[in-house]
Amino acid sequence: MKGRLLIGLSCLGILIGLVTAFRVFSTGFVLYAKTDTLVWTMPLAAYIFFSLTSSGLAFVSSIPIVFGIKRYEPLEKRTVFLELTVLMAGFVCLIMHLGSPLNVIYLLLSPNLASPLWWLAMLYGVYLVVLLASFWRIQTAHVSKTLSTLVFLVAIGTSTALGWLIGMPDARPAMNASFLTVYFPLTAFACGLAAVLLFSLAYARPSANPSSAAQEDLYNEVAKVFGIVIGVTLILFIWRAIIGGVSSSEVELGAFKRMMQSLSFQTELWLGLVAPLVLMLMPSVRVTTWGKVLASLLLLVGMFAGRLEFILTAEIMPMGQMAEGLPEFVSYFPTISEVFVAIFGLAVMLLLYTLGERYFNLDGTHEQSEAGT
Amino acid sequence: MPKYAMVIDLQSCVGCGACSIACKNENNLTEGIFWSSKITETSGTFPNVRYHYTPTLCNHCEDAPCVRGCPTQAMHKLDNGITMHDPKKCIGCRYCMYNCPYGVISFNWEKPFKFWRDDKPVIKGCTPSPQEVVQKVNNGTATPYYNPARAETLSGSRSKGVVEKCTFCDHRVKQGELPYCVEACPADARTFGDLEKQGSEVVFLLGKFRPYRLKEHLGTKPKVYYIRNFNPAAYERTKGGV
Repeated sequence: MKGRLLIGLSCLGILIGLVTAFRVFSTGFVLYAKTDTLVWTMPLAAYIFFSLTSSGLAFVSSIPIVFGIKRYEPLEKRTVFLELTVLMAGFVCLIMHLGSPLNVIYLLLSPNLASPLWWLAMLYGVYLVVLLASFWRIQTAHVSKTLSTLVFLVAIGTSTALGWLIGMPDARPAMNASFLTVYFPLTAFACGLAAVLLFSLAYARPSANPSSAAQEDLYNEVAKVFGIVIGVTLILFIWRAIIGGVSSSEVELGAFKRMMQSLSFQTELWLGLVAPLVLMLMPSVRVTTWGKVLASLLLLVGMFAGRLEFILTAEIMPMGQMAEGLPEFVSYFPTISEVFVAIFGLAVMLLLYTLGERYFNLDGTHEQSEAGT
Repeated sequence: MPKYAMVIDLQSCVGCGACSIACKNENNLTEGIFWSSKITETSGTFPNVRYHYTPTLCNHCEDAPCVRGCPTQAMHKLDNGITMHDPKKCIGCRYCMYNCPYGVISFNWEKPFKFWRDDKPVIKGCTPSPQEVVQKVNNGTATPYYNPARAETLSGSRSKGVVEKCTFCDHRVKQGELPYCVEACPADARTFGDLEKQGSEVVFLLGKFRPYRLKEHLGTKPKVYYIRNFNPAAYERTKGGV
């Protein structure tokens, strides 16, 4: 029943997304809250959110295989499949962001090795292939250590290259590449842990194999790690606010100071970091399913707002001739089409995941599936 | 190989905007897109106020952040120093716009020349619709004032989903002509030439006056230089006071 409902809702989301895609590519990007100042908006923020979450899931899936912590093995199959579905959602949002997506062939025909965007595109291409191979191995034979290690390494590459991409412009000091190349993988890991908890506890069928007590212990341990990662993220987040927003006098950092008052910044701080941290710090809440699910959901919502906050920080202060006739800071509110793009990505992810849950027995490994049948 | 640069004399520039209009005509620019534009500032408090006008265009930086960031080399440098864009290779990611510290790159958010696709006449039963004018003048292929010369080195008018920017009128330079904004400036405030050629006008002006460039501290090495400044104000000289 739950599966059918989710498939129905996902199909509706995909339908809305397809209509939006048709309208955007026939009418133009005027359907977005576009200006020549705000060139990157919610569709790109959604892409960053999904792609970083996918990288974070790769970090989680590497725990039992790359780092040899075997008790995490029951999470492996679901996590790898989630990585794939979340990555697909990211690709959907990316296509909806690009003005001429068919020209991506020139990434191969005319590469620019100095561009972080080229490296990111290549890394994501490799990531997709390696992920597919890794899941195929789990499904048909057994987990491949080589492939899992590759997934882990490429995920480090994608999450850090994204920091390089957004932090490269010299003219936007608020976008510090050194900070982002640490902050992005760290928050990716937090999002990965949140997604695993959310989809394992709120979505999947409770499994009898391994025993539910062992499973409960495992999820409690994941929740503990989750709390620690949120704590570290919060420390980094606060220092970013102090260094860039409070103690700095640089004019170019004015945009960040402005964004500190924005809804997206406050959502990231309070809803995405403080609230889940408080929940995970309380042992009586942390051991409950609802506590873990709520904390995960809050973190993911907060991080989505955070991805938007990051790209808006880089853009709300118009530069050069584009600033003519504009206020010192421009404001942004997403259009319905931009919201539909995010829904499109989410719907694709949910549909793929629901189908995966139905046909691939994500609770166990190949050996467990064989033993069960 | 020449290395082209432009010198803008702010004492001669009257801020008439002829450069911007000439640029739009020459390069078939659609509504809302300006390859040649301006930065205006008002400083002071009334009655002690002053208005500053700085004409702007792509700086054709030697170390161009837009070129460094473009994943497909759609944005690239020509041997003569011009920063050029190839819309056929552009994926519409807008990373060049994100990277450009001068805000001189524009994106075609929709199909250009919306006005000329309108089928409603301005005065019903009296004037033709813009669409009818286009049909009659150019057989429906382009706007009535379309400049085919632009299409010699770049698509005549850019399509939806790609970026565009000033090219120093590379199609004219190739023919031994000056960029059209330079040609059109009624005050001769813009001087264009080869930095490598001893005795060229730009070399002379850069040596004669103390030039500055926009956001020099970023190290992009712009090739648009500004010299002099016009200020007719006089004041009674004192030592001030406490």
